Amino acid sequence: MRLLLLLSALTLIFFPQFVSSEDEYSFDLDEIEKKPYSFGGYIEARSVFFGFDRDAALYKLKMFNRDEGKTAEEYNAALQLDGSYEKGMARFYMKINADIQQSYTGWSDNTSIFEGYLSLKPSHSISIEAGKKTLKWGKGYAWTPVAFVDRTKNPDDPDLALEGFTVLSADYIRSYSGALKTVSLTPVLIPVYDDLNEDFGEANHLNFAGKLYLLLYDTDIDFMVLTGGSKSTRYGFDFSRNISPNLEIHGEFAFINNFEKKFINSSGELFKRKFNAKSYLLGTRYLTVHDMTIIFEYYHNGTGYTDDEIEDYFSFIDSSHKTFTATGNKTLLQKALNLMEGNYGRVNPMRDYLYVRVSQKEPFEILYFTPSVTGIINLNDDSFSLSPELLYTGITNLEMRLKTSFLTGQRNSEYGEKLNDYRAELRVRYYF
Amino acid sequence: MAAPAYAIDGNQLLEQVDRNLNPESYESYKKLINIEPDGSKKEFVLFTVKKGKDKVAAMFISPASEKGRSTLRLDENMWLYIPNVGKPIRITSLQSVVGGVFNNSDLLRLDYTSEYDVEKVEDKGSEHLLHLKAKTKSVAYDKLKMWVNKDNLLPSKIESLTEASMLIKTLYFKEIKDFGGGIVRPSVIETDSPLYKGYKSVMIFAKVKEQTFNDEVFTLTFMPKMESLR
Repeated sequence: MRLLLLLSALTLIFFPQFVSSEDEYSFDLDEIEKKPYSFGGYIEARSVFFGFDRDAALYKLKMFNRDEGKTAEEYNAALQLDGSYEKGMARFYMKINADIQQSYTGWSDNTSIFEGYLSLKPSHSISIEAGKKTLKWGKGYAWTPVAFVDRTKNPDDPDLALEGFTVLSADYIRSYSGALKTVSLTPVLIPVYDDLNEDFGEANHLNFAGKLYLLLYDTDIDFMVLTGGSKSTRYGFDFSRNISPNLEIHGEFAFINNFEKKFINSSGELFKRKFNAKSYLLGTRYLTVHDMTIIFEYYHNGTGYTDDEIEDYFSFIDSSHKTFTATGNKTLLQKALNLMEGNYGRVNPMRDYLYVRVSQKEPFEILYFTPSVTGIINLNDDSFSLSPELLYTGITNLEMRLKTSFLTGQRNSEYGEKLNDYRAELRVRYYF
Repeated sequence: MAAPAYAIDGNQLLEQVDRNLNPESYESYKKLINIEPDGSKKEFVLFTVKKGKDKVAAMFISPASEKGRSTLRLDENMWLYIPNVGKPIRITSLQSVVGGVFNNSDLLRLDYTSEYDVEKVEDKGSEHLLHLKAKTKSVAYDKLKMWVNKDNLLPSKIESLTEASMLIKTLYFKEIKDFGGGIVRPSVIETDSPLYKGYKSVMIFAKVKEQTFNDEVFTLTFMPKMESLR
């Protein structure tokens, strides 16, 4: 609260134009003059308070050699800069993200180039782009199983900017009159070598991906493919359509050929299994007459773990923790920890989920104020997270968000075994 | 007692109003000012392009928090692109992109003749009063009452109503300006709404000029590249 008051006071002192009143309307043409370069971004302060679930498997796994008490705080500062330079048909764009964090684990910082690419646009129908960029395929809001060339987004904060991969891509667009209004084709090359896109998949492969987009009978339709060796070959399809003025439906389907799943039994034996996985999503976005938006999505993750597999993992952590407590030997816990990355540690690692978000625009005639509540439910074990949120954007370029999350579930369930029971986060972001 | 309709082709008149407001294909800049009851303001600047009867797109130039955000309307399809989110999502004509009294359909306005039929024209002295009815259910406002000046055939006031004739908002067209190229039209539209008591929104127009664009500009794939049109 003090932070909010301080920020509001600073805004009044340094940016009085944001709250000016009763001037006559003016439109200075300098405001719209286009320059060959642009520069912008945001600076962000984010503090998080969370309460640990000290009996949870992931608490035992991550905090086995430390005692931080029942609660902890975390302070984050972030700076995102983006800029571009345009000359003729060429444009260079770059987005850099830097953040620094102080938490119970100490200080840490990270700076990444999220995007940095050169774009050539010889006509409105063709563009070619080379460099690091995000492609953001898929129509899902919380999950996008067909986003083959993107990093996995966090359903808890799906609008966060993500780091891209270094690619060579092109867009070819054609418009028509009639039922088929638009066709666009996006071929993508993704090289994966030792120092290039090394976190995309297996190294020493030049991968190919492609997307065909159609606007057909007022429906957005995409077909996509990824092949080349760094990941197993996969095919996808998505659609989105307004079936009435205030109701949109969307869906995705992904077929992943020869997906390799690593899992562990309760005794600590490791297994690998290859199979063809099918993931899909069905969703809707509905706007009521009172400006309430409801987003609803069902997601089946064909690559996810079954109830038994996840229970085995949690049991193994439990027995490994008992071994550590009795002997001080952390080898088994380390083995469980190694299986987190890309396996059990994936965002929503199980099979079936529901996502529901209800947001009310400007209730009680409070302009620029949006309260919302989001629920993510694991349908396999009935555990869930519930996140009420308040968002205020009434001061130009300043965005304030207060978000809390409560995680609930039985023992051996996904949300029941998370590190935290609850968390509260205040995020203040200033755009420039 | 209802005023008698008089002998004038309402749809032809509406078409003339459309052409007087802007060419069929054009580009323009708009400043949107939301004014709260205490007088505080929030401003947005947009670049808008339109082609033919069913294609229109707009992109925010300022403030920084909205910069690069663009909206596209292709007939009854409407999308919103937010740079940080990185992909266009489908939206509806009723949603507000910026908060305040204006909604998407005000920002992405097609010709009135594309969305409405004239049901009746009344003689109101120096003005015609046109009663418009939406052609489909997907149009943001089911009915419009449009007051049109008989001398210049430009609107002076439009009331937006629901199917049950409930007033949603009123648009006041002001300050007629010569933009060049034969475009002489109101440069300011003020809006108020009984749903937002004490609030007011103002739209100011600049650099309205006839312009032709490729159809490919009005596609989902082009949305992130809209800045290149300026």
